Formats: sequence, structure tokens, C-alpha cells
Amino acid sequence: MTFLFILVPLILASVMPLVGKFSKRFLPDFLTNATVFFLLIYAISFVPQVLCCGPDIRQMIWLGQPINIILALDGFSLFMLFTIALVSFAVTLFSIDYMEHYGAKANYYALFLLMIAGMNGLVLSTDLFSIYLFLEVAAVASYGLVAYGLGHDELEASFKYLMLSAVASSFIILSITIIFGLTGSLNLGAIGLGLQQLKIKYVLGFCIGFFILGFGLKAALVPFHAWLPDAHPSAPAPISAMLSGLLIKVSGIYAMVRIFFNVFGLNPVLSMVLMYLGIISILVGAIMALGQNDIKRMLAYSSISQVGYIILGFGLGTPLGIMGALFHILNHAIAKGLLFLNSGSIERATGTRSLDKMGGLAKRMPITAATSVIGSLSIAGVPPLNGFWSKLLIIIALVQAERYGFAIIAVLASVITLWYYLIIQRRAFFGKLNEVWVNIKEAPFWMSTATIILALLCIVIGLVFPFFIKFWLVPATDVLTSGVSYVLYFLHY
Amino acid sequence: MHLVLLIGLVCFSVLAVFIRDLLKAAISLAVASVFLAIIFFRMNAPYVGVFEISVVAGLITVLFISTIALTRSEGGVKESRISTLIFPIFFVAFIIIDIIIMKNLLGNILALPGAPEVGGFGKILWNQRTFDLVGQIGVIFAGVFAVLALFRRRNNE
Repeated sequence: MTFLFILVPLILASVMPLVGKFSKRFLPDFLTNATVFFLLIYAISFVPQVLCCGPDIRQMIWLGQPINIILALDGFSLFMLFTIALVSFAVTLFSIDYMEHYGAKANYYALFLLMIAGMNGLVLSTDLFSIYLFLEVAAVASYGLVAYGLGHDELEASFKYLMLSAVASSFIILSITIIFGLTGSLNLGAIGLGLQQLKIKYVLGFCIGFFILGFGLKAALVPFHAWLPDAHPSAPAPISAMLSGLLIKVSGIYAMVRIFFNVFGLNPVLSMVLMYLGIISILVGAIMALGQNDIKRMLAYSSISQVGYIILGFGLGTPLGIMGALFHILNHAIAKGLLFLNSGSIERATGTRSLDKMGGLAKRMPITAATSVIGSLSIAGVPPLNGFWSKLLIIIALVQAERYGFAIIAVLASVITLWYYLIIQRRAFFGKLNEVWVNIKEAPFWMSTATIILALLCIVIGLVFPFFIKFWLVPATDVLTSGVSYVLYFLHY
Repeated sequence: MHLVLLIGLVCFSVLAVFIRDLLKAAISLAVASVFLAIIFFRMNAPYVGVFEISVVAGLITVLFISTIALTRSEGGVKESRISTLIFPIFFVAFIIIDIIIMKNLLGNILALPGAPEVGGFGKILWNQRTFDLVGQIGVIFAGVFAVLALFRRRNNE
């Protein structure tokens, strides 16, 4: 029953403050971790079904009566559900120790679970307005989570994030309104059919423009990225990992790609616009990251750059490009999640995020240092780690499509990425130990466990990537390459 | 009549942005949403109209005014001149683009008919937009928990 992906976190979130009254730490920690682990196993359990029988479109039954909740679990949505559950699981493990000093853990977990429920709802939705609504569920929860530390910076970043996100939502709802006015429906299949009958090139162009503005802001594509370098570093480390690893991809990229590929259909102009947005994001993100001294800010700029790779792959629109982009969603979520969690470990131990003040931390925090190296090399695209294969797929796809200029810039930006990640490693972990940090200790058990799991995933996925391509990426790529005919066929229009 | 209502809506919305006094701004926002509610009623969308009047014009205005009454005024924050200059330019540009799109593009297209809304308010919400109901519950929970999280330290102190 696919509805459980939304229902379980939603119900647990609603009772979490009550649970917090009885047990301040153990029960909230245990229940949240168990729930997210259940979601992970549950997502994996759907793989055989999607592989053998294709998409699972299901109408919910309530007291023997069918009700109007139609959820679509196809290769693409299952891949996203898996990614969400996987990264969330590592983040909740990390939160057990990390969130101790913030207080009100039950409240934190309630918001965290709502964010997961929102993302899962968005991914499973077959209706344009429901997509918008669940996008807001995840967004409202994330505003609260960014400001969770209640300091001046956190509140300012959260406010900026809220304002720009509201602008994004306005553009998205404006476009949905125009489409609803024209096609008389909000169902993705009916809209796909309606738009084919109407032949409205220019209005559709405006709708696509508004969607690019809205979802581009949510995904922090350049030039809509101003909020991200403030919001992501200010949030508590586990939330930075969730925002950079998952939220920008689900509420920005997933929603945009689902609508553009399966409802509107990708055309050459749109493809070109997406590719240019992608390549600009790659370059600007990478160059801006180079000059940063705050470790989390550097990681945030790196997210902009990596989102650029994903959009470049999707924009290209060839099966290989789409597959590379999908693979990079997973790889970047894991590696960037890992690096943000490690930045949290460093901040907790030293009390600073400034790279200038660090140095030689590897001697005192060997696990954090080792996992950071793995995460950095993965994002920079060093073989045989997972990030290498996804970037390679995107670049091969670009070469196959004879987009040599884009391919060269993508490779060069990858070199810049390696450069600034090596800067982080050198300034933070290697060299002479700063005397101030002689007495610091390695991160506590659960925090280290979470980072070790993610680092192992970087290595294992890199080694067994053909397995991943077969079971996760091919079904997801098929959904996107089938274009509008997918929604027309499976949503019965 | 529609035009008068639309102009009223736009004027009071602009006033809400421009007026310095927060109380007056909140009231002009309420008046703007009353105009919007009347437009909804006239366009045969009574449920939206009722919600607009009760929630946006009523409940939210009460919340705004009580919040303003509870907080001290600590002198206005000085806005930069650029933002006061940019808003009118942006506003005029927006109106022009809006008119061009609506008149030239949307006006000439024969839209497909929407599905008729059958039954009462509860029936539409339960039978046609059930999934949105789940989303609404999520948004409300998220809002409540976010407020609880943001005010927690103040309570402890």
C-alpha cells in the first residue's frame, strides 16, 4: 500500500510531541529511526514489482469505498522514495547525538517527519495541485528546521529562505492556475491530453517559464540561488544534509522534471534552456565555492554546482543523459549528506566553521577525516567512487550528442570541484594540529556510525554500479524517456 | 462591475504594501481580500469566497491585529530607497505584461471545459480533493510545530 509512505511519517509526526512528554530522548529517537528504516525497507520491497509489472497506479479504498487518492509508484518515484529514505536514515541516526544540545528533540523529529511526508507525497502525487500542496508541507517544515537554533543568523536565513520560497511558490501556483484554466483539469494525464489538443505554443511557453522560475528557485539554480548559501549553512547540520541532499532535488528537480518530461514533453528549446541553466550553475557554483572560508558555505555553493550537473543531464534529454542525472541525484545526496554531517561533527567539536581556524584535525578526529575524504573524492568524481560514474555517464551522453562545448566545461568544472574539496581537506584535516584543538575528541558513536554508513555507500555503489543501473536507474529512465505517452497510458487517458 | 472590483482589489493590495503603519496595512489587506471574496462569489465559486472572507479577511486580520497590539513599536526600520523605487516600476511592468498575456494569449484560446463541481462543499472536498485534505493536515501540523519550535526557548526563559 503506497499510501503508507505518506501516512506513517504523518501520523508519527502528529503524535511525536505527545511522545516527547513521556520520554524526552529515547522514544523520539527510537520511533523516528524505526520509521525511517521501515520506509527504506518498504521502498526496496517494491523493486521486484516495478521491475516485472511496471508502474503501480492505485486508488485508495476507505471503508470499502474508493476515494479520490490516486498514487503512482513508478520507477522514477520509487527511485526518489529510496533516495529520500536512505539519506533520511543516516540523518536521523546522526541526529541522536547531534540534536542533544538543541533541546526539544520530539518537536524536531515531528518537523523532520513532516518534511519526509511532504517529499514522499510530492513524489507519489498524480495531480498538479497535490504536487504544489505537498511541496509546501515539506517547505513549511523546513522553514522551522532552518531556524531551529534560534540564533540571529538562523532566523535571518530562515526568513530569507521563506521569502524567496514564497516567490517560487507564487510562480508555481500561477502556472498551475493558467494550466487549470485552459485544460479544466489538474490530473497529470488529463493535462497531458488537454495540452496536446489545445496547441497553445505561446501560453505553454509562459507556463514553462513560470515553472522554471519557481522550481529553479526551489532547486537553487543560478540565477535563482541567492537564498541557498545563507539557508543551508545556518541550519543544524542534519538539516543542512537534508536540504542540500534531498529537498532541493525533490521539490525543485523532481517536480520540474516530472512536469516537463511526462506532462509537457521535452522540446528542443526547453532542452537548450535547461542545459544552459545547468552549465551556468555548474560554473558559478564551482567558482563561488573556491573563495569560501566557511566550510558549510563552501558545501552549499558546491550543491549549486552539482545541481547544475543534474539539470544538464536532464536537459540533454537522451536516455544516457537522464540516467546519469538520476544517478547523480542519488550520489550527490549521499556524498553531500555525508559532508554536511561531517561539518556538523567538526562544528560540534571545535565550535567553528571557519577553515582558517582549523588544521590537523585528522589527528584527533580520524573517522570524520577519513569519511570526509571519501565524500569529497566522490563528489569531485574520482574513480572508483559513485560520483565518478554518474559524472562519467553525463559527460559520455554529452559527447554522444555532440555537445562538445558542454562536455569540456563539465570536465573542467569537475577539476575545479576537486580543487576546492582538496582545499577543505588540507585546511581542515591535514597539516599541523592547531594547539587550540589538542583536547578535542572524535564525534560520538551514532554520529560516527551515520557518516561511516554513508562513506561505505559511496564506495559500495561505486563498485557495484551496474547492479544499481539495472535495478534502480533503468526503470526510472524508462518513465522519463516515454514522455507524455506515460501519463496518457498509465493514468488512462 | 468586475473591473471596479478588480481595481479595488489591486489598489488596496498596493496600499497594504505601501502604508508604513502596520495596523492600517493589515486593515487594507483585509479590505483587499473582501474585494477578492466578492469576485469569487460573482464568479460562481461560493466556497472559495466563504473561505476568503472567514479565514483571510477575518481570522488572519484578527491574528495580525492582536500581534501588532502585543508587540512594542521600536521605531521603524529604515528601508533603502532602491526598494521603494523598484516596487512601482516592477508593479507597472507586471500590470502591462499581465494585460498582454491575458488579453492577447489567453483571451483567444478556447479553453477545455472543467469537470462540474457536483454536490456540497463536504462532498467536493471528500470525494474530489481527498488527497489535498491529507496535504492540508500536513501543512497545518508543519505550521503548528514550526511555531512551537520557534517559541520554545522563550518559554524556557
